[in-house]
Amino acid sequence: MPVVLIPTAYRAPTGGAAEVSVDGQDVEACLRAVEARHPGFLELVLDADGKQHAFVKLFVNEVQLEAGALDTPLAPDDRLEVLAAIAGG
Amino acid sequence: MAGPEGDRLIRVDMTTQTATTEPYPDEWKLLGGRGLSAKILLKECDPTCDPLGPDNVLVMAPGVMSGTAAPTSGRISIGGKSPLTGGIKEANAGGNPGQDLMKLGFRAVIVTGQPADPEKRYGLEVDGEGVRVVEADEYKGMWNYALCSKLLADRPKTASVISIGPAGELKLSGASVACTDQDKERRPARHAARGGLGAVMGSKGLKWVCVDPGKAKLRGAAEAKPFATTNKDYTKAYREGPQMFATGTSSVVPVANMLNTFPYKNRTEGQSPDAENLAGAKIVESFEERGGGMHNCMTGCIVQCSNIVHDKDGNYKTSALEFETLTLLGANCAVDNWDDVADMDRLCDELGLDTIETGAALAILMDSGGMEWGDAEAMKGLLKEIADGTELGRAIGNGAVATGKLRKHARVPHARGQAIPAWDPRPLKATGVTYAAGPMGADHTAGLIVNPGMQPDEFARASQDCQLVNAVCDSSGFCQFLQPNLDDIRNYYGLLYGEEISREQIADLGWECLEDEWKFNELAGWKPEDDVLSDCLVNEGIGPDNALKFDVDAETIAASKVRFPPREELFAMKASG
Repeated sequence: MPVVLIPTAYRAPTGGAAEVSVDGQDVEACLRAVEARHPGFLELVLDADGKQHAFVKLFVNEVQLEAGALDTPLAPDDRLEVLAAIAGG
Repeated sequence: MAGPEGDRLIRVDMTTQTATTEPYPDEWKLLGGRGLSAKILLKECDPTCDPLGPDNVLVMAPGVMSGTAAPTSGRISIGGKSPLTGGIKEANAGGNPGQDLMKLGFRAVIVTGQPADPEKRYGLEVDGEGVRVVEADEYKGMWNYALCSKLLADRPKTASVISIGPAGELKLSGASVACTDQDKERRPARHAARGGLGAVMGSKGLKWVCVDPGKAKLRGAAEAKPFATTNKDYTKAYREGPQMFATGTSSVVPVANMLNTFPYKNRTEGQSPDAENLAGAKIVESFEERGGGMHNCMTGCIVQCSNIVHDKDGNYKTSALEFETLTLLGANCAVDNWDDVADMDRLCDELGLDTIETGAALAILMDSGGMEWGDAEAMKGLLKEIADGTELGRAIGNGAVATGKLRKHARVPHARGQAIPAWDPRPLKATGVTYAAGPMGADHTAGLIVNPGMQPDEFARASQDCQLVNAVCDSSGFCQFLQPNLDDIRNYYGLLYGEEISREQIADLGWECLEDEWKFNELAGWKPEDDVLSDCLVNEGIGPDNALKFDVDAETIAASKVRFPPREELFAMKASG
C-alpha cells in the first residue's frame, strides 16, 4: 500500500499524522484517498480544476515528478511525498 | 584580507565623529551576525538606556561565513536596543555590504554615542585604506534610492551601501536599515526591517555607511580544497532539489490563505477574498509582459528568491515584493491587487520603513475608521506624508501600537510592542509561542513553525528548537531560505577554521545567543508575565466557526525558555523564516 508523506504545514486535516497509507494505483488516486479519509487535504495540493498548485512539489521515492504528472503509477511500496513552500519573509 | 586571521572590529564614536579599528577577539571567532551582536550588546550596552539616546549601541555584524565562497552566505545582522520592543533586537538583510565588510576583514561595526547637534548628518567610509567618519549634510532627508544613486555615482563599482531614509532620520520606531543589492544599479532594496533599528541609526546622525572592498579577495578557508568541494556539492544538491522559492516568497500566498494565515482587515479574518490577485503567480505572469524577473539579492546566492517588479510601462518599480509585504500592506488592509502593494513596497523602501509594521499600523487606522478599507491611493498618500513628519504620519511610522494609541483603538495585534507578522499565531500556535516568549517579540524569522496540526504538548519544544536553529543560521550569514541545518553549518565552520565543530558546540552557540538576548531583556525590564500576545489574538477567533484562537497556556510559553536536551531531529531541522 503506497504511503503518502504529509508536510508539516498540511497536517491539520490529517490530525497531525505525518504519513498516511492508502490504496491507489497512481498519484492522483492516492491523493484522493487521503482526502477521503482526511477531508480538507486535497485542496492544499490541487486547485479547484484538479491541477497541482504551483507551490506544491510531488516526489515519488525521492524523485521529483514533473508538475501535473498525476497519472504516474504507484507500486504498493512506493512513497509519495508532498512538499509545499511554507516560509516567506 | 583572506581571513579569518587578522580580523578586526570597527568602532565608531558618533559623539566625537571618530572611527577606529581594533583586533577581533579570538574567543569570538565562531560568533557572527546575530550571536555576535547579542554578545557585544550584552557587554557594552546598558539595557536600561533610552533606545534613541547616546547610550544605545548599534551593531552591524556580518555572519561568520560572509565574504567566503559558501553559497548564499553573505547576510548581515543589524542589532541594538529596539525603540519598538524596549528589548534587544536583531534584524538581518541580504545585499552586499555584509560580504564586503568581511572581505576587508571587518567582523562588526560598533556605533556608539550621539552628535551634540541632532541636525547634523554623517557617513562612514570603509575601504582598504581604513575607516573614516565624514560629514554628510548634503544627504539629509534624502530617500534611499536617490541617496544611494548620488552616493555611488562617483564611487567604484565594487562599493555597497548601508543607509537610512527619512523615517530613520525622524527616529520613527518602524524605521528600517537598507542595504544595496548586488545588481549593477546597487539598489537599496534589502532591508533589516524589524524593530526600528533605522531609528537607532538615525539617532546617531549616521545617514549611511559606504563599504568598498576594492580588489579584496574572498575569505579563504583553512581546509581550502574540502571547502571548495563542499560548496560545489551543496550547490549541486540545492539546484537538483525542489527549489521551493524559485518564484519568490510570494508563492506561498495561496497556501497561507488556505491555512488561515493570510490575515484580512486587521486580522479579523484569516483569509482574504483577494488572495488570487495578491498571489505570486500573478507577479510571475507580469514578467513576460512587463519585464523584471527573479534575481539574487547578493553575490553568490543560489536561491534567487528575490523578484524585480516592473510597472505597466516596463520600468523598474520595486524589489523584492515579498509574502509579508503582500500580506500586511495588502490583504490586512483589504487592498485587492499586488500592483498597488508594489507601489507601497517601493515607498517603504524609499522612506526606510518596515513593511510589516507599517502595514499593521495602516490596518489599525482603517479598523478605527480613519481610512476606508482597501483605499490604496490614500495609503500611498499617507506614506508620503510620513516624510513630512505630520502627527498621523509619525504615528504610522512609529508602528502599530503608536497608531492604536493615537486612534484610541484596542484591536492592536502585537507582542512586546511589535506588530504580528503575516504568520498568524492562532492557526500556528507554536509560532505564537516564539512571538510571546522569544527575545525578538513578534518576529517570524526568530522561529517560524508552520504546522497547524501540532499537538499542544509539542509547542514549547518546537518553538525552542526552531528559535535555536534560526539563531545559529542568523549568526552564520547563511540565508534562511537556503534552509541549512545545524550539521550543514557546523561542517562549514569546521572547514573554515580547520577544526572539528561538534554538534554540542553548534547547538550551544544557538542557545548562548538566546540566553544573551533573554538576559539583556531581563536587565531591560522585561517580565515573564508580559510573555503574552495582545488580547485580540486570545479572544477573537478566525477560521472555521471562528474557533482558531491563541489559547496556549502560560506554562507552555514559559517552558519554551528552559532548555530541552538536544535531540537528533534538532540537527536535521532546517532554518525557517
